Amino acid sequence: MISVPGVITGADVAADLRVDCDVVVVGSGAGGATMAAELAAAGVSVVLIEEGGYHQTESFGAQSVRALRTLYRDGGGGMAIGKPSVLFAEGRCVGGSTVVNGGMSWRTPPPVLARWAAADGIRDIGEDAMAPFFDEAEAWLSVAEQDPETIGRDSELLYAGARSLGWRIVANRRNQLHCAGTNNCNNGCPTGAKRSMLVTAVPRALAHGTRLYADCRVERVTLDARGRAAGVTGRFRGQDGRRGSALSVRAKVVVVAGGAVQTPALLARSGVKPAARQLGRNLAMHPNANVIAFFDENVTGWHGVHQAYQVREFQSDGIILTANNLAPPMLAALMPGHGRELGELMAGYNHVVTAGPLIEDSGAGRVRTLPGLGAQVFYQLSDRDAARVVRGVELTATAMFAAGARRVLLPVDGAPALHSLDEVRRLLAAPVPARALRVFSVHLMGTARMSEDVRRGVVDSYGEFHGVHGLFVCDASLFPGPTGLNPMLTIIALAVRNARYLRDRCGDYSL
Amino acid sequence: MAKRVLVRFTEIVCPPGASAERVLAEFELLAAALRPGARWMLLAAFAAFDQGARLYPAARGRRFARLDDQVADAYLRKVLGRGDGVAELVERLKGMVVMCYYELPEAKAAIGYAPEPYIAMVSRRRLERYGDDIRAAES
Repeated sequence: MISVPGVITGADVAADLRVDCDVVVVGSGAGGATMAAELAAAGVSVVLIEEGGYHQTESFGAQSVRALRTLYRDGGGGMAIGKPSVLFAEGRCVGGSTVVNGGMSWRTPPPVLARWAAADGIRDIGEDAMAPFFDEAEAWLSVAEQDPETIGRDSELLYAGARSLGWRIVANRRNQLHCAGTNNCNNGCPTGAKRSMLVTAVPRALAHGTRLYADCRVERVTLDARGRAAGVTGRFRGQDGRRGSALSVRAKVVVVAGGAVQTPALLARSGVKPAARQLGRNLAMHPNANVIAFFDENVTGWHGVHQAYQVREFQSDGIILTANNLAPPMLAALMPGHGRELGELMAGYNHVVTAGPLIEDSGAGRVRTLPGLGAQVFYQLSDRDAARVVRGVELTATAMFAAGARRVLLPVDGAPALHSLDEVRRLLAAPVPARALRVFSVHLMGTARMSEDVRRGVVDSYGEFHGVHGLFVCDASLFPGPTGLNPMLTIIALAVRNARYLRDRCGDYSL
Repeated sequence: MAKRVLVRFTEIVCPPGASAERVLAEFELLAAALRPGARWMLLAAFAAFDQGARLYPAARGRRFARLDDQVADAYLRKVLGRGDGVAELVERLKGMVVMCYYELPEAKAAIGYAPEPYIAMVSRRRLERYGDDIRAAES
């Protein structure tokens, strides 16, 4: 049992529940928790529902597989079907992906905002219009660069390599209050220094009277006879993991913030369909790939912050490079080989830097709901994006060798260990088929995109579903396209903006 | 999934000396976190992998679980090298099993990974250096 005022978990509920509120928010990640906190602070009665569990900072440790089981959806093993398939991970816990992400907090690049405004007619989305919301979000998230003593050797090596090549490299801005540099971001921050929603927006929402129901999967959004949003129905997960009690919420406004996979899936199974059939389409993923570089020196990459820098030299080409240490279970899963060979590679764990590109993608995936399988992601890496991945891999290897790496393993099926940049270039000079690339993603966006054009978009400029009064979307599904950078701050700033829009129109929704 | 197949798979994919029982205890917990559809796909692929060994000439009609180390290793390499859907799922299964192996304390210790003392040390340092700042911001 959790004894935090306002928090009700599956273990606390013995019978079916019916509750009333002004606004029900589905999902407690960056968008949902922010929306809940903003509306609750404005005096609105809010119910916040989270499918995952309520895990507090004290419970976070260095057990990666345990974290995958308890803090991530599907044990962190999402897979978008395509050639290649793309592994992806999403948080599923109170605080959502902000509990397990790296905390990079970047404003949306102004050209991206301009593109969204031009292509989809989105209002109040320009750099100047968004600036106050970014300012606010950065203030309460304590967004800042790292204290210098927390920067690890793996990040220093990426920095040294990039600088020796004359590349532009910037210090990461992260939502952290004097991050200790535990390198445990992906397992939940054990100090609470990372200002995830768990320790910021959720407590703020609770302090303003929000009721939080954890361990509860929302099954449907309900509409009234006039086709307006009327609430949600869901089901708690009992202590033994089985179906628990039912939850029925009656509300004047429904905000869906389950992320770019679950949001379109929930709306689709609720029978809410936009005229333009765009729901679930236009998925962008920011494909990542990892180069594993071995150094003679003891790197001990787990001493120091998760990611301290980003190479921005190639940002205009849709490529940024980062170094992010992986805990042994994650690195082992990426390593080629098995048995003794795997053991020998992993014996060099403390001499490894894992680094790689994040790609601003041009491909478009789709979320579909399949009988028996639930929400399934389909995504095909386009030829252009595959070429970007290959180029990003080569650039990463270039930086690693410039920093003194002795050999690298590339994220290409069947590629041998390579001992020089010449070997890398020779290997990549031949066409690399997209299906041979090993890519993954932690940024899923765009499946309920904003557009004032009902033929292109699912929701309007402020996240309200076209044609369904009182139904809002508030997560990365909103994005009309990829941001090219870590999306968390964009989600939060849009949530603040859209919450203010809703607050200022309380009368329209009888709030 | 037949436990014997999983034990054999664990013995082949993990570094020598792994305790298959303990790896599998972790694996079962992790597999339970997968959604049913994904779990079903993995199990189906694994069953196909096990029985498919019968068609591998060096296996001489035996399933994977009954192969000796050398033949089992060669068969696994052959399947992973095919690059088809089964290979992808077996690769994923391999990834899950080795993840579970490197979750074990002795496997972490063997490669010099000891995060708990480090986390405790830097957490103390944070409070010593910035305690006032942190308390002010959190109040």
